[in-house]
Amino acid sequence: MEHTGMWGHMETGSGYWNVFMWFVFFAIVSGFVLWFRSFGRMDYKRNTEQDEMFLSGWSGSEVPADGAKAAAPGSASYWGFNVALEPVYNVLKRFHNGSASDYAGYFVVTTALIGILLLF
Amino acid sequence: MNVRDHLPAFLVMVPLLGSFLSPVAVSFGKTVRNVFFVAFAALTLLAGAAICVATFGGNILVYVMGGESFALTMPSGMSYPVRILFEIDAFGAVFIFCVSAAAFAGALFSVNYMERFSGWKRFMPLYFLLTAGALGMCATGDMFNFFVFAELASIASFGLTAFWRDKPEAVEAGFKYMFVSQIAAMLLLIATGALYGKYNAVNMGFLASVMESGTMERVVLALIISVTAFRCGAFPMHTHMTDACAEAPCGVTCLLVTVSQASFYGLVRVCYSIFPNLAGGGTVGWLLIVMGSMSMIFGVMMAVIQHDIKRLMGYHSVSQAGYLLTAMGVGLLALGRGGGMEGYGLASIKGGLFHAMNYSFCNGLLFLCAGSLYYATGTRGLDKMGGLARNMPWTAAMFVVAAAGISGLPPFNGFVSKWMIFGSGFAVHPILPALGMVTSVLALASFVKVFQAAFLGPPRAKLIAAREAPYGMLAGMGLLAVLILLLTLFPGWFMGNVFDNAAEALLRPQDYIRAAMGGR
Repeated sequence: MEHTGMWGHMETGSGYWNVFMWFVFFAIVSGFVLWFRSFGRMDYKRNTEQDEMFLSGWSGSEVPADGAKAAAPGSASYWGFNVALEPVYNVLKRFHNGSASDYAGYFVVTTALIGILLLF
Repeated sequence: MNVRDHLPAFLVMVPLLGSFLSPVAVSFGKTVRNVFFVAFAALTLLAGAAICVATFGGNILVYVMGGESFALTMPSGMSYPVRILFEIDAFGAVFIFCVSAAAFAGALFSVNYMERFSGWKRFMPLYFLLTAGALGMCATGDMFNFFVFAELASIASFGLTAFWRDKPEAVEAGFKYMFVSQIAAMLLLIATGALYGKYNAVNMGFLASVMESGTMERVVLALIISVTAFRCGAFPMHTHMTDACAEAPCGVTCLLVTVSQASFYGLVRVCYSIFPNLAGGGTVGWLLIVMGSMSMIFGVMMAVIQHDIKRLMGYHSVSQAGYLLTAMGVGLLALGRGGGMEGYGLASIKGGLFHAMNYSFCNGLLFLCAGSLYYATGTRGLDKMGGLARNMPWTAAMFVVAAAGISGLPPFNGFVSKWMIFGSGFAVHPILPALGMVTSVLALASFVKVFQAAFLGPPRAKLIAAREAPYGMLAGMGLLAVLILLLTLFPGWFMGNVFDNAAEALLRPQDYIRAAMGGR
């Protein structure tokens, strides 16, 4: 594995890593994004109804003043993922039951298993 | 007096002195207390950084307390006496720097974060004791003192986890931590006693030079692996850790991340330096890989479903500890197999060390960001937060840096270390990089969830008065963010000057033995 100084790239054996190449990449992509954006509509006007908030089907004054009534809570994230893996999560939740004696049991059983593995 | 010779003593002496003097400093008022807290943490960081520099180029620092001279490891007439021996090579220095940097960042953060609370006469001594314990674990050259420093860190951890003793959850988390940790401590003491009984020594270097591969040694190795893996949060022994991470004050949690790293240091030191014959056989390598892979995947799966931001970060700590265990397991397996696999083993170890530093700084910063959110909103529940990026732009920006770093999002530092670990892991088994990628995707998904729930969306009416964290807290967070950005921008420099030396020091146990036996 070779390292060519502070600014150089780092050979990893399966290619090389140079963070500044990434910056060049981001700069080029940003240039393209701005170029494509310049083809967009030019009729945007500040301080008109075009500036009003549009959120989940509400627009303008319909948007609730309190974000708590408009935002999806964190616990709603990845609902499908959680439901699909419910059987796995049920086991994992039972495992993390908060019982100190169970925690001690996990430690003792794991120690015993490691001992058996190393002895035999 | 040559200061460099006494660096190992300063490293542990400074936080210990800070611990004993803290109650006095607190009684002189808020300003003296704050200056004292930050100054002693800064001195500890200075000692840690100086040790890192002193071990560049393969130097090993040895320091003896209780002998005729600090440099005399083998005084005449005493074959292998019991005394306090510090032995620090480039491998240990990596972890020492991580602990001391996290301790300083946590101290800066805590100056403002803990201002609202009483109990500083308990908080500061325990904080410095925790720092001294973790540093001692990485610096010590004998097994008994490793046990002593581990206990020092554990006892301080219990106290700090249950610091808010008016909260039943905190007391319960502290009790659970204490209960399981004391069982582990007894097993570590039995293992140390067994070594002393057979070899009449606890000096790691000497033990490494005479270690046999008998039944007793296998039992001792099993006990030490189990205890150190437990303390670094490996599945399925991680359960105490997530509770502790959720309940301890955030400045402390930042430090607890590196305390788990100190245990990881002990695990690797024992496997690679003291028991290389037993650990190199393949069983230990696979054991670490299996424990690491399970920690990675189950840790991150549990993180995805959490709604308490600190508990979520706690599960991420379990997941990241899994990467480290996997890296060192791959290293053991690849080096043991030979036949051209050594290069993969070395790359995996270097990647693991790089990731250990990434983990310390990124997860430390994530805990501090969680603390900043708690400070501003008074809640840890993600469901009760929202739209905070407008009021807390610095916290939001630093959260993004830490989350992108630890998720391994290019061009951040985590990508490089994970690439090295799983590029090498592929040579051992193709499922390892697949597991690593799934874990990284889930980690990113959970951080996206946190960012969306806490920082984005319309502002909550109840949080309209939330303000950015005070300067002290931002300074602690900023220090870790700068370190992450340095690791991101200059990975080649860190690899060439820090991790290469550290990996080579780890793989040269003969130098470690020679230094402990009197040769420099």
